[in-house]
Amino acid sequence: MSSFWKKGLSTINSQLLASRNLRLALIGCGKIADQHLHAIHRIANCEVVAVCDRELLMAKQLAERFGIPESFSAVEEMLGLVKPDVVHITTPPQSHYLVGKQCLEAGSHVYLEKPFTITAPEAESLVEMADRRNLKLAAGHNLQFTPEMIEMRRLVKSGFLGGKPIHLESFFSYDLGDETYARALLGNRNHWVRQLPGQLLHNLLSHGIAKLAEFLDDDLTEIEVFADQSPLLRELGEQEIVDELRVLIRDKAGTSAFYCFSTQIKGLNELRAHGPSGSIVVDHSSGSLIRKPNRSYKSYLTYFIPPLVSAREHFRNAGMNIINFGRRKLYQDFGMKELIERFYNSLRSTNPPPIPYREILLTARIMEEIFDRIYPERIQKSEITGSRSEVRPATGGFAVANASDRAALARRYSGQ
Amino acid sequence: MTAEYFSRSDRILVTGSSGFIGTKVVEILLEYGFSNLRCFVRPSSQLARLQKTIARFDNRSNVELVAGDLLSRNDCQKATEGISLIYHLAAGIEKSFAGAFMNSALATCNLLNAFLERGQPKRFVNVSSFAVYSNLSLKRGALLDETSPLEDASQERFDAYGFGKLKQEELVRQYGSGRGVPYVIVRPGAVFGPGKRELSGRIGINTFGFFIHLGGSNQLPLTFVDNCAEAIILAGLKPGVDGETFNIVDDDLITSKQLLTAYKSVAGHFFSIRVPYPVAYGFSWAWEKYSHWSKGQLPPVFNRRRCSAEWKGSRFSNEKIRQQLGWRPRVPMTQAMAHFLAQFESNRG
Repeated sequence: MSSFWKKGLSTINSQLLASRNLRLALIGCGKIADQHLHAIHRIANCEVVAVCDRELLMAKQLAERFGIPESFSAVEEMLGLVKPDVVHITTPPQSHYLVGKQCLEAGSHVYLEKPFTITAPEAESLVEMADRRNLKLAAGHNLQFTPEMIEMRRLVKSGFLGGKPIHLESFFSYDLGDETYARALLGNRNHWVRQLPGQLLHNLLSHGIAKLAEFLDDDLTEIEVFADQSPLLRELGEQEIVDELRVLIRDKAGTSAFYCFSTQIKGLNELRAHGPSGSIVVDHSSGSLIRKPNRSYKSYLTYFIPPLVSAREHFRNAGMNIINFGRRKLYQDFGMKELIERFYNSLRSTNPPPIPYREILLTARIMEEIFDRIYPERIQKSEITGSRSEVRPATGGFAVANASDRAALARRYSGQ
Repeated sequence: MTAEYFSRSDRILVTGSSGFIGTKVVEILLEYGFSNLRCFVRPSSQLARLQKTIARFDNRSNVELVAGDLLSRNDCQKATEGISLIYHLAAGIEKSFAGAFMNSALATCNLLNAFLERGQPKRFVNVSSFAVYSNLSLKRGALLDETSPLEDASQERFDAYGFGKLKQEELVRQYGSGRGVPYVIVRPGAVFGPGKRELSGRIGINTFGFFIHLGGSNQLPLTFVDNCAEAIILAGLKPGVDGETFNIVDDDLITSKQLLTAYKSVAGHFFSIRVPYPVAYGFSWAWEKYSHWSKGQLPPVFNRRRCSAEWKGSRFSNEKIRQQLGWRPRVPMTQAMAHFLAQFESNRG
């Protein structure tokens, strides 16, 4: 089909969707499904018409609790009978690619929970298929749309950093102390998280990596990976799962990025972006954004003014959060609601989806590269479609390449 | 103690057998001389207590420990192979509704299907909870027994555990009426004993750095772990009670205030503040309204249904279980309390 006809068809489809309620369906009725439905209930002009889970009982309990008319156990049957405009896929990640493909083939737009797919080629394949069929995709990187991240994006666009970020840092901590999760995960080798090529990290890395991918070029020249186990996992005798990760990345344009995932540090969930004339710190844990202009002051004023400026920033954040609480906007899943609403709005217009495909694909590539360094055997086994993508070295190779290097770095990192 | 319909050569499955009540059920079954046991445990379960218990008995050679996941149909089939009687104690302690449903109802569904396919079903004893009752329409101090209304809005009550247990009961009844599975449902009250140090939520909640005492002079539906385990066992062995439901509470029940005072005397003094029921109800009402108005900006952790169920105060009876199962608490309340409190003795200066 020529691009002219494709564009015309897309416009007609968008206008059709804008003229009526969006008909939504959800596949995968586990824990995260509740969050999706709560977020959708906050959005106007849409209705959830069906839910599906391979365990019909799971689909029925969700339908009953949320007043959804139809429940199914077979994806194909649901797509054929209900013909939803949008499908939210909240199944374990291993099935994202195949279920996503089925939905696109049935003509539905797709919102896929994170991680988008297991491998980068699967992500590329879905994006290509959606494009070919004039359909749209969203990845569940909902932390990209919290109030503080939206404000950060506005500041970067307005030139606060003084240009493109020179260096980025993304921190994500995860508390394994959640006994239910940790025991289920550690004790059950068949747990779906353990079946992922990147194990625990595969399920948790997307949010933090997606924040970096937003500002990095597609051409990455270097990735260094430091991975290890926390003392808690060692004490529990865990053999496979890695839960401490540090990654250094550099792109062709020279932007560098640092990623830290830890189960030992508590409550750290931040993005730091440093530019030529300013820095921004986004702290998800406190829902705040700190602006730090790179400005010098004469003499001792450099010890007095900047702390006061920082104090003003913290007061401003506290004030904003209080106002947002009063306005009922400080709810936990604001980011998810915002992302879903923006995605639906993009379907009703010719606007692109809220998360550029470039970012989704780059996130998938970076994650795959990280897991390849940590679990090379598992990654080889996980190849489902096509050849694996690789970070393309522009000026040289990677700093960390083989197992002995990794072992040495792990020892260095763990202080042995 | 062997029932007419049940012989000692029949094989018994106990799910959740490494848990607080499950271990005691295994112990009393062995004590009764039922040694043809299969103990089903999660792969992540701590087995030391169960293994130590089993090791005390000479007739332990036929006791099997099988690790598995009730969400796996294969594991359920392995667990129920040749089984005649199931004591289903495994419970999903999950905060999410989907998780609670999955680990309670879906797991039970898998177990029942496997029981029908691989077992020789004589009885399925489903261990439920007092969390299934709604107290909303009952007056303060009214009798809460097996005929009392069940919760019909678990989501409003924000009680995922209760929701899972209600759905589990529904499913067991469906399998009873539709597939002919002989079943008995037991609903233990607040189970206490050595090995469980936490206070029941019916007494109050520990939050904002101090203890809010909400139970006051309410009677507590207590059952000592040994008494509870024996009641569960009898529900499996007694003929002619298929399809019945039994509440399990001990005799001589004490009040929330009495238990808190005794607890403080051995566990060490801590600051607690008494909140009368009308105040708790008003606070819960306001919280619930705000939660609704703000579309869940604050989740409805306090609400009228929960407040009624936990702190309104009821009277409890064990009349039915005494009459139909012939159960009597083997440990009197004073002795049970002494055993419970003894675990805190080391805390005393």
